[in-house]
Amino acid sequence: MNTFVQRFSTTGALSEARKAKALAADDEEFSDAAWGSEAGFGNIANGVPTFAVPAVPDPSAFLRLHTDDHADPSCRIKIQHGTTTLAFRYKGGVIVAVDSRATAGSYIASGTVKKVIEINPYLLGTMAGGAADCQYWETYLGIHCRLHELRNRERISVSAASKYLSNLVYSYKGMGLSMGTMICGWDKTGPAVFYVDSDGTRLKGDLFSVGSGSTHAYGVLDQGYHWDLSDEEAQELGRRSIYAAGHRDAFSGNTCNLYHIKQDGWHFLGNFDISKMHYEGPGDVPGSFGKGYGYDIRVEGRSSANPPPAAPTTTVTA
Amino acid sequence: MAAYFQAPTAYSRTALPPLAAVSAPQHLVPPSDTSGTIMAITGVGFTVIAGDARRGDAFGAYPQVRFVPTVFRLTDKAVLATNGFASDGNIFIKKVRQRLDWYRHAHAKDMSLHAIALLIQSMLYQRRFCPFYVHNILGGIEDDGSGAVYSFDEVGSYVRETCRAAGSASTMLQPFLDSQIYPKSSQPPTPGSATHLSLARVLALVMDSYKHAADRLSHDQIGDGLEVYIVLSKGTSTQGLNIEGVSEVTSIPGGERIFLLRRSLA
Amino acid sequence: MFLTRSEYDRGVNTFSPEGRLFQVEYAMEAIKLGSTTVGIRTPHGVVLAVEKRVHSPLLESSSIEKIMEIDEHLGCAMSGLTADARTIIDHARVTAQNHSFTYDEKIKVESVAQAVCDLALRFGESVHDEEAMMSRPFGVALLIAGIDEVGPQLYHTDPSGTSTRYDAKAIGSGSEAAQSELQDKWHKSMTLQEAHILTLRVLKQVMEEKLDQHNVQVAQVTKEKGFEILDETSLKDVIELM
Repeated sequence: MNTFVQRFSTTGALSEARKAKALAADDEEFSDAAWGSEAGFGNIANGVPTFAVPAVPDPSAFLRLHTDDHADPSCRIKIQHGTTTLAFRYKGGVIVAVDSRATAGSYIASGTVKKVIEINPYLLGTMAGGAADCQYWETYLGIHCRLHELRNRERISVSAASKYLSNLVYSYKGMGLSMGTMICGWDKTGPAVFYVDSDGTRLKGDLFSVGSGSTHAYGVLDQGYHWDLSDEEAQELGRRSIYAAGHRDAFSGNTCNLYHIKQDGWHFLGNFDISKMHYEGPGDVPGSFGKGYGYDIRVEGRSSANPPPAAPTTTVTA
Repeated sequence: MAAYFQAPTAYSRTALPPLAAVSAPQHLVPPSDTSGTIMAITGVGFTVIAGDARRGDAFGAYPQVRFVPTVFRLTDKAVLATNGFASDGNIFIKKVRQRLDWYRHAHAKDMSLHAIALLIQSMLYQRRFCPFYVHNILGGIEDDGSGAVYSFDEVGSYVRETCRAAGSASTMLQPFLDSQIYPKSSQPPTPGSATHLSLARVLALVMDSYKHAADRLSHDQIGDGLEVYIVLSKGTSTQGLNIEGVSEVTSIPGGERIFLLRRSLA
Repeated sequence: MFLTRSEYDRGVNTFSPEGRLFQVEYAMEAIKLGSTTVGIRTPHGVVLAVEKRVHSPLLESSSIEKIMEIDEHLGCAMSGLTADARTIIDHARVTAQNHSFTYDEKIKVESVAQAVCDLALRFGESVHDEEAMMSRPFGVALLIAGIDEVGPQLYHTDPSGTSTRYDAKAIGSGSEAAQSELQDKWHKSMTLQEAHILTLRVLKQVMEEKLDQHNVQVAQVTKEKGFEILDETSLKDVIELM
């Protein structure tokens, strides 16, 4: 890990040498890994992939200049942001629910994003922040979980997998990675959820929500959550929370993907249209009340347009 | 490498950039959108990948080059369209082709479409800290004979879709494609809800989209030539392809077939 | 006039005037000291079997590991200096995972065999300014079994970095007798069970001890279930059928 700190540091002898080397030679992206004795066998032969870094005094500032649309809305490369993801564990496993919207600035770049990354049949990762960062590193995590399995003849624990990811992204701290993920699974200790982000935070917990719509999701999640939820209740709670975020947060929405992790691995439960959930509900699925989450509740019964009739005058008989 | 990005912040079209500005790293600006629009649509057993051939200069000026291909045949079943900074795009295409060759030498077979998709992700992510300023759309035929479109962002996140437009006219064309490809306009598209149109209909959609986008967008954004690649899975009929300007560019007979349609957008 | 053999067998990077690399040849000799290992390819899958040498009644036979998984669709059996195999197999595993990471597909059996051979040749070699990776050739040979789009395949790799595809192959101390037996008995349309029985019969002929479920290990790679090592009960069943 230290070699990375050295490689990307902008001061010190090593970085001077690097700059000199970069001036002298063309950028060697593939080194020997891509051909020769490892012909075509991939780009991570030496453990961690190598990345091209711009030959400027401060590479991360350079990257920020071009990709950070918070600092500069007119930046050229708009890395996709905006999301609602949640995961919680309860007695029956882990529920993972996410929305499917990707926004680039105020444009909805896609409404069909898969924000749950299937690391292996027992582990799921969620995606918030840079889509590529999550996709790439969680796929990378997947092969290391598999290697762990082959080397140790047992599945990796959720804790170890999340720690691996956390250490990995921590080695790039300050380089501009953006990732907020929940690593969820079922291991020897039962259902487990870990929150990992690109700042290096790693938290074990029962319930997390990440993304611009997380506050909305937490609102629903917190009032409905307890450890002894039934499977139906838990699935409905996950769906309902994503609906709430999709409804109120402009950067979240479109559809909700719902997963349930049990002892035998994860199960995909379905894709639910958020506007359909508003008007008609999630359809005929376990936990559904068979009606819309939003519309009827807002227009049925009493409202300013349909005020209650004046209270009848009653006479009290003695 | 960083030289691509070293351009002066502003200079007039006729004036040459002052040398000091070019070499001073503090004046780094990324390449601007160098126009062009790409799109891809897939149906049952076929995929159509299109791109226009106009390039403005890096600073949004009058089109300097009038025929720059943006869609590239990789194999008989994979076509890659690039949009963005042309130099990055050209280099990227060369690198992808090089990797395809290496793969063929190492494994004695051609890469499948989904393998190319994942490879492109790795290659784009390799430059996570110094991105290729290109938006890629990969289209073609999967090993199971189905058509597929993969769209990528600049640093490699990707998703398999039914249709995708990118580039200068994307915000204009994507909603239109959605309306044609996904069943109900009142509903957002969900995976698997796409309707599969016929090849003739898709080709008409693509050509009309470009024609009308060219009419609406400023002249430096889109125009001149239109190149459309059509990839047919093994055994799919060529019905709908008997139109002017179509030529077959298949390299190995007996497998997937690939056609190129050239049109003028003038 | 040639110098004696002993003057050319010290370094791994010096050919003898006859054009031989003695250290590599000696490494091949190390395999002939190893326990016998047999592999058979059938149209339904590949079977691997090894003899475990249990030299002491106090030895826990289950701790001898001579067949290992490379990936779901790939396994290998070894003979020779089995400690060397750990390095090779880890390389093969990483290569297989790298491949699926980069290309989203299972690696071909041939490519894994090739990767193993690439590693086998890295003795005495230094790349750029790096230190040489290994000071001597590996002293182990592998039988790599796997299934890919080409079908079930069996590869043999040795310390010289050669990989060869076989229908049936025996390596190790009893390999000569075993190979001629395989040549007699192998036919194109063997079933998996016939292959199980044949591997064990071949092993039985060359083993000193009486063959039982504790001193042999059998594994198979099939299209349906991928790589699996037979557990003791199913091994016992095969032994009874012999």
